[in-house]
Amino acid sequence: MRLLLVEDDAMIGQSVHKGLRRFGWSVDWVRDGRAAELALQNEVYDGVLLDLGLPRVDGLDLLRAQRRKGNDIPVLVITARDAIEDRVEGLDVGADDYLVKPFHMEELAARIRALMRRRAGRVSPVIAIGELRLNPATREVTLADKPLPLSAREFALLSALADRPGAVLSRSQLEEKLYGWGEEVESNTVEVYIHMLRKKLGADFIKTVRGVGYMVAKSA
Amino acid sequence: MRSIRRELLLWLLLGLVVAVAAAATGTYYQARREAKELFDYQLKQLALSVSNERISVLPHSHERELDDDLAIQVWDRNDKLLYSSSPELAIPRRPDPGYSNVATHRGRWRVFGIQARDKLVQVAQPLAVYEELAAAMAFRVVSPLLVILPLMGVLVWLTVRRGLRPLTSLSSAVRSRTAAALQPLPETGLPDEVKPLVVSLNDLLGRLGRAMAAQKGFIADAAHELRTPLTAVQLQLELARWATTPEERAAAFDDLQRGVSRATHLIAQLLTLARQEPGATNRPLEPIDLVETARLVVAEQAPFAADRHVDVGLSNAVESVVQGNPEALRVMLGNLVDNAIRYTPAGGRVDVAVTHADRHAVLTVRDTGPGIPAADRGRVFDRFFRGHELDVPGSGLGLAIVKGIADRHLARIELDSGLDGRGLCVTVTFPM
Repeated sequence: MRLLLVEDDAMIGQSVHKGLRRFGWSVDWVRDGRAAELALQNEVYDGVLLDLGLPRVDGLDLLRAQRRKGNDIPVLVITARDAIEDRVEGLDVGADDYLVKPFHMEELAARIRALMRRRAGRVSPVIAIGELRLNPATREVTLADKPLPLSAREFALLSALADRPGAVLSRSQLEEKLYGWGEEVESNTVEVYIHMLRKKLGADFIKTVRGVGYMVAKSA
Repeated sequence: MRSIRRELLLWLLLGLVVAVAAAATGTYYQARREAKELFDYQLKQLALSVSNERISVLPHSHERELDDDLAIQVWDRNDKLLYSSSPELAIPRRPDPGYSNVATHRGRWRVFGIQARDKLVQVAQPLAVYEELAAAMAFRVVSPLLVILPLMGVLVWLTVRRGLRPLTSLSSAVRSRTAAALQPLPETGLPDEVKPLVVSLNDLLGRLGRAMAAQKGFIADAAHELRTPLTAVQLQLELARWATTPEERAAAFDDLQRGVSRATHLIAQLLTLARQEPGATNRPLEPIDLVETARLVVAEQAPFAADRHVDVGLSNAVESVVQGNPEALRVMLGNLVDNAIRYTPAGGRVDVAVTHADRHAVLTVRDTGPGIPAADRGRVFDRFFRGHELDVPGSGLGLAIVKGIADRHLARIELDSGLDGRGLCVTVTFPM
């Protein structure tokens, strides 16, 4: 999963950037509103973490413009403005959630997971496909009730596919979900991870749609 | 406690009492003088009529007058008492005819003597009669006033209370307020004597309100601004806790250290700013040599500048003594030089100068940094305003502090382009 972090403060931005990567998500970090607008033009992000007090383009204006354009990407506003009116305005302009500084990384991660869950239309925090159980919060995966140890990249790839069962994701879409900016993408890595996942899950779990990409069937 | 009402009542009634007493005294003396003339005339008439009568008929002819308050004596040529209506009174024979006062065992008496052929007639009357009459007249004049006196007291009490009612309602209006209610008191319908008080109270309330609003704004801003460094510290702490390798942990603790330093710096700057607020100190200004201050600050900042490979120095120093607070001036120049060094890229230069212009002391700090766009120059003195130079850490308070100190020293600050048209030049002009 790939997130866009819009935060002008160097220390906070750096910490959130580092911290969220520990949850297995790839995060791109921009420091002003204009850069955020540019980044949002290629629609690779699963969610935006938006600070409001931004240089150049204010966070709320940015959000308003995105919503006007019809961009329905989940947006979590992170801000020091904690007055009720500010929260109401933020949510009414189109934020999906509102987190007031200072906050804990755990809470931020939980709210991101909740946003993703809502977006996928799931109620249960655990993704269940056939005998596979995938818990995004604990990053535990079981297959037929047996724990299935996965590397961070394997987990990221599997959850990207499991998040939207039945949808076909191309190789480049999967790469985008796995790697943030500045991270070296080795050629055929996606194939390598698919191969390793198939060894652990069985060959049929992840299906290849020739010439298009990969998918997980709705009930494998 | 002094009370206008009590004092007015006291003095007005006292004045009334004195007036009544004066009227009574005046009437008394006036009446006594008139009574004396009247009674003297009566005495004389009586003496004349007695002198024309034979002694044997006297007790009968003057029976009516001969009560306790009238005495008749008839003496012969040899000073022998021929007749006395009140022998026990023992009024001596007066040597000369005419009026005189005599002391007897029944008080002082008024005596009139007349020489008639072969005898001397003396008629006497107690002086107390005169006085009683005068007192009675005085009392008749004063008694209505004595009735009026308490009425006047009540009237004065009511009038004063009525007159002071605006003050009473004003004080209850002020008393019923909460500490936060600073809206002006109504100024209409007030008597001329109370209006100036209300107007100046409203003026004070207005100033108080503005000061409180500024204070509230400051606290809100400060609390808001403290969230940012505290958020960073919170997140850095979590990362440090999650670190798995010693290297990761060391790096996380370095970050955490920087986060704490930033929060500490912000708090220090907030405190400095609070100290520069008007009214925060009442330390008198003293003569300060700006050159000395500039030397001190440049020396203080030299290690920081060397770290960043910025050349800092005092380029021009003309002795300039201004009235100031030494600590505040050092903070001000320190902030300016610190800013200049912070924003100037490595290899750049910061010049501090103290000169004179037009009977003013002029302090300038020039740098070769990015400068401040003209559009932002008006706002950089606002608290927590930060420019677009995201990579330079700062609290956004430095220039607000500088402005506060300059204002207290009646100095003017101007921003312009710096060395060779690049960078920033801050000019602070002090009156000398």
